[in-house]
Amino acid sequence: MDTLKVRDAKDVEEVVRAAIANEQPLEIIGHGSKRSIGHAMATNAVLDLSALNAVTSYEPNELIITLQAGAPLGDVLSLIDAKNQQFAFEPMDTAALLGTPVSGTIGGMIAAGLAGPRRIRDGGARDHLLGAHAVSGFGDGFKTGGRVVKNVTGYDLCKLLAGSWGTLSVMTEVTLKVMPKPEAERTLLLRGLDDAAANKAMTAALGSPFDVSGAAHLPKSEFRAKAEGLGDMAGQGEALTMLRLEGITASAAHRANSLRELLAPFGAAILVEDAASAALWATIRDVLPFAAGGALSAWPVWRIVCPPASGAALGFQLARETGGELIYDWGGGLIWAALPPKDDAHGAVVRARATAVGGHATLIRANDDVRRAVDVFHPQEPGIAALSERVRASFDPKAILNRGRLSRGATA
Amino acid sequence: MAIMMPASDQAVLARRSEIVAALRAIVPGEGVIDTPAEMRAYESDGLTAYRQPPMVVVLPDTTEQVSLVLKYCAAHGIKVVPRGSGTSLSGGALPLEDGVLLGLGKFKRIREIDFDNRVVVTEPGVTNLAISQAVAHAGFYYAPDPSSQIACSIGGNVAENSGGVHCLKYGMTTNNVLGCEIVLMSGEILRIGGKSTENSGYDLMGVITGSEGLLGVITEITVRILQKPETARALMVGFAEVEAAGECVARIIGAGIIPGGMEMMDKPAIHAAEAFVHAGYPLDVEALLIIELDGPKIEVDELITRVEAIANGCGSTTCQISTSEAERNLFWAGRKAAFPAVGRISPDYLCMDGTIPRGALPKALARIRELSEKYQLGCANVFHAGDGNLHPLILYDANKPGEIERAEAFGADILRACVEFGGVLTGEHGVGIEKRDLMPEMFSEIDLNQQQRLKCAFDSQGLLNPGKVFPTLHRCAELGRMHVHAGKLAFPDLPRF
Repeated sequence: MDTLKVRDAKDVEEVVRAAIANEQPLEIIGHGSKRSIGHAMATNAVLDLSALNAVTSYEPNELIITLQAGAPLGDVLSLIDAKNQQFAFEPMDTAALLGTPVSGTIGGMIAAGLAGPRRIRDGGARDHLLGAHAVSGFGDGFKTGGRVVKNVTGYDLCKLLAGSWGTLSVMTEVTLKVMPKPEAERTLLLRGLDDAAANKAMTAALGSPFDVSGAAHLPKSEFRAKAEGLGDMAGQGEALTMLRLEGITASAAHRANSLRELLAPFGAAILVEDAASAALWATIRDVLPFAAGGALSAWPVWRIVCPPASGAALGFQLARETGGELIYDWGGGLIWAALPPKDDAHGAVVRARATAVGGHATLIRANDDVRRAVDVFHPQEPGIAALSERVRASFDPKAILNRGRLSRGATA
Repeated sequence: MAIMMPASDQAVLARRSEIVAALRAIVPGEGVIDTPAEMRAYESDGLTAYRQPPMVVVLPDTTEQVSLVLKYCAAHGIKVVPRGSGTSLSGGALPLEDGVLLGLGKFKRIREIDFDNRVVVTEPGVTNLAISQAVAHAGFYYAPDPSSQIACSIGGNVAENSGGVHCLKYGMTTNNVLGCEIVLMSGEILRIGGKSTENSGYDLMGVITGSEGLLGVITEITVRILQKPETARALMVGFAEVEAAGECVARIIGAGIIPGGMEMMDKPAIHAAEAFVHAGYPLDVEALLIIELDGPKIEVDELITRVEAIANGCGSTTCQISTSEAERNLFWAGRKAAFPAVGRISPDYLCMDGTIPRGALPKALARIRELSEKYQLGCANVFHAGDGNLHPLILYDANKPGEIERAEAFGADILRACVEFGGVLTGEHGVGIEKRDLMPEMFSEIDLNQQQRLKCAFDSQGLLNPGKVFPTLHRCAELGRMHVHAGKLAFPDLPRF
């Protein structure tokens, strides 16, 4: 293993150019916290961005921050928290789920694009990446976007970089939108709903004018009585449906009352405030019940995205067919599924069920053998797959960057 | 015409009647228009200074027809310009002499309203406002609201990534679309995304949005809809100095308040608007802010109080707070009519669209005043203050020799200043032909080449809307060539582990 620790964007260009000349693919890492997501990469040369870790500029009044890609996520969150700001898309911290000692970098956060519960209201990483400097697989440093929120100058290549898992370009510096933290948060908890009823309750809440910023459901589960992060809420593993309201204090409290009335047919909701509420949503965001250190650490974990109102039907069938454990977020539009160990991690069932409702599934946690047996990323329609490959080649024709990560057998 | 369009292909023009006949075989009846008189309606869009009759207009009404038209044009090397409602302010739908103008006006149907998933599936020719109207009975609306929303099509909104007054809080088009059906120049029909909150694989929807009709022709769109806020109220605040108004905007945002809309007008714009709509705007101020708060009543009332205190702290000279819907609408009436209002005081005007960091506002307005002196042309400024999007309206008279050229030079200097102050050339109107030749002010050749390579992934012959966005066109083969960097064979000497 050859690890090249770059010092600046110029180094990145030189490394990529040398890699092109030598036909030597590169694995791109920050802290390596998400290296276990995707297929094994066809290379033993690593481009390490962790030394590119500076905060280039932070302008709270402009609601923007510019960072080098290797800046540690935790440090950046602390920095903006001190100004009472946040990334509205609530980036997931994958450390607990994947069992890594570190939470990763800003570059990794964007390249993975894993957004948390507020995604349903405020969008994902793609919606908050305003501009980037990157080095393409041509070995050229380029920029896209800018440092302002409102910008339609040229193609929005930021959208492609977010969620590209490092296969298009090496991001060296990014500008992100930050938003004020809400003054208060309130969560309404409904107990004992089955998945279908919970899906209906979440749909009603999200279709209300009460500006719901989180809608999640933990089905009844034996194992969860012991799961992390839920504190007293874990109870005896009974079902919990959670709806979040954020904003100025008077407004959040008022909307919580209104929503509680709206949801009365689903039962009497319990109100959870501020810090206790935040802990609940961190549990959902980081999928703590499935943590690598917990009871399900040997179970593969899928991340299934589907039309929100289809969530319960999809999840219910999947749980019945596999004996798996589920967590619903995004009002039913995101299902985290931990399934009992199996050679293919139940891939055929998961994919068939997800595809049937217009959704897609990514295998986020699985051992090497399983990842050799099943596609980690959802297979695409041939036309979309061909276009995506042309798009990839337009950035990196020789597949120098993270070759093989996105598809099995693409290691040639 | 100051902007050069790609040279016309004489061989294509020579085959015009054959091409018209072939298109008629695909789109029967009145769907193909080839007489000069009937084509006149299509020779320009919202950038009316530029006009060019197309070779022929085709108005398909099915995706299959769109596919066949594109396939035919691709096979015969014929350029295609897509068009929605023709309201582009940057010339995005300006026809080509040797090109087929492909109008999507017959795609007028909303295909599905799905309240449970909070989406609308619509054809591209449906107007922006019609989507909101179709879901209003259930309390929903479609958030992006460009000023042209009565006329502009949702397909055009996706092509241009349109914004609007409310995008500070609710995002632009790109933040509110989930999927589409798109026809590539080859005729291939693809479906991207759908009702799911996010898509798998590369975010193709994200890069198609705002691609100005250069990547494909959209034939169906899935948009997010939101519940209408319970209430909205507005403040109208006057300042004796532009700097104080700019400071007020910064402090509101700094206090963690994101208004539904926050607009600024300078003195010439205030006077023009007041003369036109009599909204009761104060005439003795240098800058006027209209700040709208929306949400539950209890929240709006509280935030109104906070914003009023901030405005007072910034030295506001007048402050009115709406107490009724009628009054709120009156505050907005002047701002919304600002463009036609300016049209009344000047024979012609050019509407610019740069974005700057909010903090650079006083600097930018000072620069615009200097340029106004230099070019001896008036300028009224309206400004989406919350997100730094400037709309200087440059006043000129097209009948006076040399004025249009001066106005364009003035506009270009404003946009250069936006880039100099850390901003961008266009916030919501698009590059089109209008800002095409200014792209190198913001992007290097390498940056632009990367964008054009992406274009090649969608349209390898460069037949879809050529001459827009990019100042220099390159062949895809040339762009794809890998340069060998001589003498750089070894990895650089870096710390290794």
